Formats: sequence, structure tokens, C-alpha cells
Amino acid sequence: MIAVLGLVVGVVAGLLVRPEVPAAVEPYLPIAVVAALDAVFGGLRAMLDGIFDDKVFVVSFLSNVVVAALIVFLGDKLGVGAQLSTGVVVVLGIRIFSNAAAIRRHVFRA
Amino acid sequence: MSEHDEQHAHRLRRELPQEVPPPVNPPGDDDAAQPERNGLTGRQRLLKGLWPPRLTRAQLIVALLLFGLGFGLAVQVASNSDSDSALRGARQEDLVRILDELDDRTQRLEDEKQGLEKQRDELENSSDQAEEARKQTLEKERQLGVLAGTVAAQGPGITVTIEDAKGTVEADMLLDAIQELRAAGAEAIQVNGVRVVAGTYLADSGNSVSVDGNKINAPYRFQVIGKPQDLEPALNIPGGVVQTLEKEQATVTVERSSKIVVDALRAAERPDYARSSSQ
Repeated sequence: MIAVLGLVVGVVAGLLVRPEVPAAVEPYLPIAVVAALDAVFGGLRAMLDGIFDDKVFVVSFLSNVVVAALIVFLGDKLGVGAQLSTGVVVVLGIRIFSNAAAIRRHVFRA
Repeated sequence: MSEHDEQHAHRLRRELPQEVPPPVNPPGDDDAAQPERNGLTGRQRLLKGLWPPRLTRAQLIVALLLFGLGFGLAVQVASNSDSDSALRGARQEDLVRILDELDDRTQRLEDEKQGLEKQRDELENSSDQAEEARKQTLEKERQLGVLAGTVAAQGPGITVTIEDAKGTVEADMLLDAIQELRAAGAEAIQVNGVRVVAGTYLADSGNSVSVDGNKINAPYRFQVIGKPQDLEPALNIPGGVVQTLEKEQATVTVERSSKIVVDALRAAERPDYARSSSQ
């Protein structure tokens, strides 16, 4: 419950504050957000499976974000940033879908 | 989560039972943890996690991370829906390409604009020329109209009045007078309200004279536009019009005037046979 509240408060704060995104972080923010979404869906699935662990969640969340940003950074340096970030988004999207399918099976038994 | 994460979780899960079992039986609150593995469905687990809210370290940490996620999500969405969103996330090479395209487009539009401006100038010029030609034509029409008698005219000139008390003045004398005036440079002539033009004819008609079929009676009053200094002497030369008329017992008065109005008009007639050869 508190976790859900945290998400809601975060969205509201982001909308209200509307901070200017620093140029250095700008290319990484969307990828980082998608990676974090993947970690959250994974965590939700783990919770429904009854195997949720906060330490695993924290580590997977942070590592997802960092690795995603790193891949984009590396891609930019190599000159294939656009393609690589597309690839990252595709992979993360597939994982989000499979996790969502597992969650759906738990919640709706279908 | 990935399989790796799950294995991680499995390992942790295997560790958990050793810690959890002891307190499992005594407290009734924690029985959620035990039957969870036995038969509790995911849906029940989800509801249990949502309500009642428990203030645990795990919940707080997850809340913090989710706060970060929500914040980043909102910021990204907000910055992406800005007016210049299309360019914000674009990469350098994309920006360069977009800039090139814009340059090309600007160039094309500039060319088009120049072409259109040139066309507009041409049209304005030609319409100016047409206007000028129209003006000249009007002016010419007015000048020719004075000669043809279709427009009224005014200017300096003389008035010649011929009193014919004895009825001795005939058409040929008036014609002589008109010829003399024309020879002296008269530009517009009217006699008793009848305009005298190139095709005017005079004929005797009983006691009076008819001009182009219009009967006119004495006194004959000529209004003539021309140079008075030329017209008056032309009539008064010895053996000229005035002397000839006076010989016939008619009285002739010639008056100079700085403003003579010739306002008798004549309808413009289209010639039946003659056509302008310039067309």
C-alpha cells in the first residue's frame, strides 16, 4: 500500500514540480524509466508468486536502471545510440509483457 | 523478473523458512506468511499486501524506488509533451538532417517567393502600361471628339455676329466665312447652336440657310475657338469675308473673347464604308 502511495506521490510531484531535465541526463531518462518499469513488473510478479524480497527488488531495480543508461551511453559513444536504445526498449518491453502475462494469470486466473 | 533474479529469490526463499517458522505458529498476524506457501493464491496475496498497510522497511524502500520511478515517468512525459518535444529527444544526426531539410525547404520557398514577386512586378508594370495607354486613348478621344463635334469645347476665340436685315446673306457667304475661319486655325465652330464639323454642308432654304439640315435664321452667330489674334484679322482682310458681307448690306461684328464655349454636340456616327486602315 505504501509502495503504491509512493508511486502516486512520485507522479504527482513530477507533474507539479516539472523540473528542467539536465541535458546530460536527457537521453537516459526514458530508457531508465522503461528499465525501472520492467523491475517493478518483475517485483509485482514475484510478490504474486510469493517469492518477493525487498533486497532483490532494490538491487534489480537499480541495476536495471544503471545498465540501461550504460547501454545507451555506450551506444551514443559508438554511434549506434538510436538503434541500441531501440533494442533495449524492445527487450525490456518483451520482459514487461511476459511479466504482465504472469501477473494476469495470478490475478484473473486466465 | 529475470530467471537470474528468480533464482536469486529462490535462494533467498530457501533461506527464509529457517528464519520464519519459529514465529509462524505463535502470532496470528503472521499466519499470512505460512499459508501463503500452502494454498494462498496470488490474488489473496496481492490484497493482503495492499490492505492493511504495514509500515515495514521493505515497504518504505519499495515506496522510495517507486517514487523515483513515478517522478521520472512524470518528468519524462511532461518534457516530451512540450511544444518542442519532437526535437528534444532527437539525436545529433537526426537534428542535422532535419536542419538540412529545413534549409532546403527555405531555399525552395525563397525561390518560389522570388518568382512570384517577379511575376507580380510584371503584372503591375503591364497594368500600369495598360492604364497609361487607356489614359492616352481617352485624351486622344477627347481631342478627336473636339474635331468631330462629339464633345463640348471651350477656350479663347471670337464671336462673329452677322446681322442680315435685308435677307441678302446666302449659304455660300457663310461657307466662305467658315472656310476662312478654318484656314485661320479655328478648332471648333458652332453656328446658331449647330456644330460645324468636317462633313457640314450649308444650303439655301428660302429666306434662311440650313446647316446640315437644321434651318437657322439671321442673325447668324458664329462661336469660334482658336487664336483670336489670327481669326479676327483673317475675317477683316481687305476683300475678305467682312467686306464682302458688308457689300451685301449685312452688318458684321467680331468680338474677341478669352472664353468661348462651344457646347453644341453631334452624335458620333460610324462610317458605313470607311474603315481605319491601321487595324
